[in-house]
Amino acid sequence: MKTSFLSSTLLALAITSLFIACNKEAEIGPNDTNTVVLEFENRVGTQPLVLGLTTYKNASNEDFNVTTFNYFISNIALKKDDGTVLKLTNQYFLIRTADAATSRVELKNVPAANYTEVSFMIGVDSTKSVSDVGQRIGVLDIASYTNDNMYWSWNSGYIFMKFEGTSPVVPLSTNGTRKFEMHVGGFGGMTSKVTNNLRTVTLALPSSATVRKKIAPEVHFFTDVAKIFSGTTTIKLAETNSIHSPSAAAPIVNNYVKMFTVDHVHNEKD
Amino acid sequence: MKKLQISAFFAAVILFVLAACQEATETPNPVPVAEEKPLFAVPKNFPAPIYALDKKPITQDGFLLGKTLFYDGILSRDGSISCGECHRQDFAFTHHLHDLSHGIDNQIGLRNAPPLHNLAWGKSFMWDGGVFDLDLFSVAPIENPVEMHEKLGNVLEKLRKSPTYPALFKKAFGTEEISTERFLKSLSQFMLSLVSANSRYDKYIRKEGVMLSSTELAGLELFKQKCAACHAGELFTNDSFRNNGLPIFRERYQSVTKVVDGVKKTVLELVVDDGRMRITELLSDKNKFKVPSLRNIEHTQPYMHDGRFATLQEVLNHYSDGVADTQNLDPILKQNGRLGIALTDTEKTQIIAFLRSLTDVEYLSDKRFTP
Repeated sequence: MKTSFLSSTLLALAITSLFIACNKEAEIGPNDTNTVVLEFENRVGTQPLVLGLTTYKNASNEDFNVTTFNYFISNIALKKDDGTVLKLTNQYFLIRTADAATSRVELKNVPAANYTEVSFMIGVDSTKSVSDVGQRIGVLDIASYTNDNMYWSWNSGYIFMKFEGTSPVVPLSTNGTRKFEMHVGGFGGMTSKVTNNLRTVTLALPSSATVRKKIAPEVHFFTDVAKIFSGTTTIKLAETNSIHSPSAAAPIVNNYVKMFTVDHVHNEKD
Repeated sequence: MKKLQISAFFAAVILFVLAACQEATETPNPVPVAEEKPLFAVPKNFPAPIYALDKKPITQDGFLLGKTLFYDGILSRDGSISCGECHRQDFAFTHHLHDLSHGIDNQIGLRNAPPLHNLAWGKSFMWDGGVFDLDLFSVAPIENPVEMHEKLGNVLEKLRKSPTYPALFKKAFGTEEISTERFLKSLSQFMLSLVSANSRYDKYIRKEGVMLSSTELAGLELFKQKCAACHAGELFTNDSFRNNGLPIFRERYQSVTKVVDGVKKTVLELVVDDGRMRITELLSDKNKFKVPSLRNIEHTQPYMHDGRFATLQEVLNHYSDGVADTQNLDPILKQNGRLGIALTDTEKTQIIAFLRSLTDVEYLSDKRFTP
């Protein structure tokens, strides 16, 4: 009799302490923060995007390969389960497929909460686009691009998305290549009201990202370049293979706004 | 006898020189030192500048660094092209007698090199206004394949490795760290100092004891009536984009060096320059170019965005008889049932005389701007 009472008590104590421990982990302290990682995996349909010789087919059954796929992510916001929104200001990221390290976007010091929705802008917002050169550091430093340019010096502004490759359907150019180049920019202009290709993407998370003192969630996105070719408008490389101005880029933009999905969320213990 | 005379002569000379020297050191009134002109000051007859000089002031060392960079071919891929190549002080920082400029590898550019005075008052830069911040300007000619054909990042690397630049940056900014911001802003400091406001016209307007001739004064009156709507105020431009009726050459070709079948060749390429539309993509901006300042116009030939007119006479002949009704022709040039601006030969002579009074000799010869 005594043993079973002791066992029960110990069991009860064990369960209680486990419960308390779990609660502590689950507790949202008012000053608790941690890092949220947004991982962008670039794909073509269900296949991973591999730069170089790998050939893919688009919705118009055109073969293509990809040599460059870059995009700016900025103005990230995270919505909590109570409806309030956390806006992360002055954080700009440049995802370059050629540099695997850039696919991990680290958002530091995110307050502990349950986050159910993420939104971000594709590109560099207009305020930053007209800011002093001293405000343009890191991925916004116009001297940092060398051979993978992301800035139009002749029409001051950033290239929001750059998508380049070759395809047998692209007409032969004067220098003997069949390249396609899609450079999307256009923040709306400084003085004249011109094409604004800035777009915000809002995605619900399939499960909450629970930021805690000891939990640093990772949100895993798929960025599907196949969607550049289909969506609102069907883009055929045979006709559309050289985009270097904001107004020409508009159909591309309306398509690529849909190229992001959230595949899953890990709530990683820290 | 002769020897004595010669010796006496020399002795006299020596004595004279000594006496003269003595006199000089005893002169009570010393020769006044020329006043040091500040690198930037708002001329009394000018409006407030647009560039934020209060937040980004010009310093002597920043200016010197900017000037050194301005005249240094290190900004170009092969070291051959500096800003000074196409922007020459004697000609108000334009490319004398070049309608279009030749840059690296002898390639020809799209447009005429504009003068560089009074940039602190500029609302935008380039003939099509593609750059709205002077600090962001320099990257454009540096990266243009027919101008300097270099990457900004490579320029900074070259400067970091150079034996002289780290020290110049240290003097200007207190650190040897050569950043994008410091590089661009030092060039801005030099360019902003290029203020031209001491022409005979300026001194006349400011009542500093200069009179314009009756011909020039007549020209000034005509100018105010017929030209100042666009070439407005003391800046002689309102920085707007206008189509001034330049006939569009049906076939304008230029020589371009390209790689064809792996071989470098010089080919003829059709030139299409839509002007401001290139930036805004608005059909209403097709054929419009920025109204240039007319200061120092006597020395900035040839004229227009493509340098098609060699003389001021040709320019005025265009306005009186050469205006074409192209898309978006400015309404000012289509009034009273005629194209262009009615000008008699005498009026043209008077206007040209007035335009010559906009030459600022002090600016063109200011040694501070010379390499």
